[in-house]
Amino acid sequence: MNSLEVRDLESGYGEVKVLWGLNLDVRKGQLTTILGSNGSGKTTFLRTVMGIINPWNGNIKFNGEDVTKLSTHQKAEKGIIMVPEGRLVFPEMSVYENLEMGAYTKRGREKFDDSLEFVVSLFPRLKERFNQKAGTLSGGEQQMLAIARGLMSRPDLFILDEPSLGLAPKLVIEVFETINKLREQGLTMLLVEQNVHLSLAITDYVYVLSEGRIKMEGKGEELAESDEIRKAYLGV
Amino acid sequence: MNAEVLIDSIISGLLLGLVYGLAAIGLNLIWGVMKVINLSHGAFIALGMFSIWILYTSFGIFPYIGIIMILGLGLVLGIITYFGALHRVIDAPELSTLLATFSVSLIIIGFGTFIFKTNPKALDFSLGGIEAGSIVILGTKVATGVISIIFTVLLYAFLYKTRPGKAIRAVSMNRTAAELMGINSSLILALSFGIGIALAMVAGALIATIFPFTILSGGGYELKSFVICVLGGLGSPIGALVGGITLGLIESVVTLGIQTSFVPVLEFALLVAILVLKPSGLLGGK
Repeated sequence: MNSLEVRDLESGYGEVKVLWGLNLDVRKGQLTTILGSNGSGKTTFLRTVMGIINPWNGNIKFNGEDVTKLSTHQKAEKGIIMVPEGRLVFPEMSVYENLEMGAYTKRGREKFDDSLEFVVSLFPRLKERFNQKAGTLSGGEQQMLAIARGLMSRPDLFILDEPSLGLAPKLVIEVFETINKLREQGLTMLLVEQNVHLSLAITDYVYVLSEGRIKMEGKGEELAESDEIRKAYLGV
Repeated sequence: MNAEVLIDSIISGLLLGLVYGLAAIGLNLIWGVMKVINLSHGAFIALGMFSIWILYTSFGIFPYIGIIMILGLGLVLGIITYFGALHRVIDAPELSTLLATFSVSLIIIGFGTFIFKTNPKALDFSLGGIEAGSIVILGTKVATGVISIIFTVLLYAFLYKTRPGKAIRAVSMNRTAAELMGINSSLILALSFGIGIALAMVAGALIATIFPFTILSGGGYELKSFVICVLGGLGSPIGALVGGITLGLIESVVTLGIQTSFVPVLEFALLVAILVLKPSGLLGGK
C-alpha cells in the first residue's frame, strides 16, 4: 500500500525546468530515501510535493487521493508534514510555542498531550528549554525542535529535508538514531539526504536523483552494494 | 512659562502620544507580518474620524460605544482591502504592494472628498475635565489615553495568548514554515491587515474626539506613525508606544516655545536624525 504516489512530475522555477518527469512511491510504514548531490532537484521535488511551488505536469496522490492541486496548509491538514531544510523554527517564539504551532492542525490539536509526552521522551533536552526562545538554541537543538514540531502534528507521512545538514558528526548520528526509532515505530517517512552511508544503513527503499531525473532505485541494502553508488557517492 | 503650564503640556502630550502610538502599532503590525508599507494608513485614520462623526451626529451613538463598532468595521474593511488590493501582489516586489496601498488611499480620499467636502468637522461632545489647581485635563484626552492603552494590551494578549494570534506571529517569522504546519497564511495575512486597519481607524476615531478634522487629516497622522515606527524600531509594537509618547511629548511641550506650524519640521528633523544615527530605532530591534 502506497502512502505517496508521484507520477511524471515536472516542475521548476520561472523558465527553468528542474524536474523532468519523476515517478516515485513511498510505501506505508517504510522509510524511503532520496539521495542526490547538490542541484539534483531534491529540494525542488519536496517543495513541489508540498505545494510550495506548483507542479507543471504530472500528479501526486496521497493515500489514494489526488492532492496535486492542494495548497501547502491543506496538505499539512491531511497529514503530510515536512521538516524543511535549514530547520526554520520560529526564532522569536519559545520552544513550547513552537511545539504548539506544530500541533496547529486539527489532528495535532486533538492529541496535543500525547504528542507532547512523546516528543519529550524522544528529546528530553527540549523540556529543559521549554521557555527559551527557539532562536537561541544551538543548531542541533533547533533540528531536534524542528523534528519534534513536525511530530506534534501527528504526521501520516513525515518528510525530512536534509536533517543532518550543518550538524556536528555526533549530532548527525543522533538525528539518524531518532529517524531509525521513528521508523521502528512504523511511521511512514520520506527522507532526503546527502549522507549516503548513514541513510543507506537505515532505509527501506532508495531513489537516486540526478539532474531532475530518477537515475536508480532499489532496496537500501542492494544499493549499498551497487558499484555505481559506490563510485558516485562513496568514493571507493 | 510657569510650572503648571508645563505639567499640563506634559500630561496632554503623554495622553496624545498614547493614541499616536496606537495608530503606529497598526502600521507596525502590517509591516511586521506582511512586509507591506501601508500607504493607506492615513486614509483609514481619516475614515475612522468620519465613522465616529457619522455614528455620533447621525445616529446619536455615544463615541466610546462607536469605537467598538469602528473596530469591527475596520477589521472587515481591512480584510476586504487585503483580498481586493493586496492578495494578488503580496509575493511581488515591495513596489507593487506600495502602489496597491497608495491606490486604496487615493480611492478612499477621493470618495471622502466627494461626500464630505474638505471643510473641517468636529465632534460636538465633551466629557468635562479633571481639575487640579489651575491645571485642567480634558476628559476626552484622558479617555483617549486610557482606551489606547487598553487596546494595546488587548492586542498583546491576542498575539501572545490566542491561537490565531500565535499564528500571526508564526507567519511573521516564517511564512513557509507556518504553511508547513497547516496554517493558512493567506487568511492570517488578511486578518493581520484587518487588525492593522482596525487599529488605525480606532486611533482616528479617538483623535477625532479631541481635534477637528477633514478627510485630508489622515496624511499628517500617517507621517507621525512613520516617525514613531522609526523612533521605536520597525517591527516592535512596544517601541511604537514608546515612540508615540516621545512624539506626543515633543509636540505638546515644544509648542509652548515655538509656533505649532513648526512642529512637523521638528518631527522630521528627528526622523532624519534617527535614521542617520540609530537606524534600528531607539529601542534597538533588528
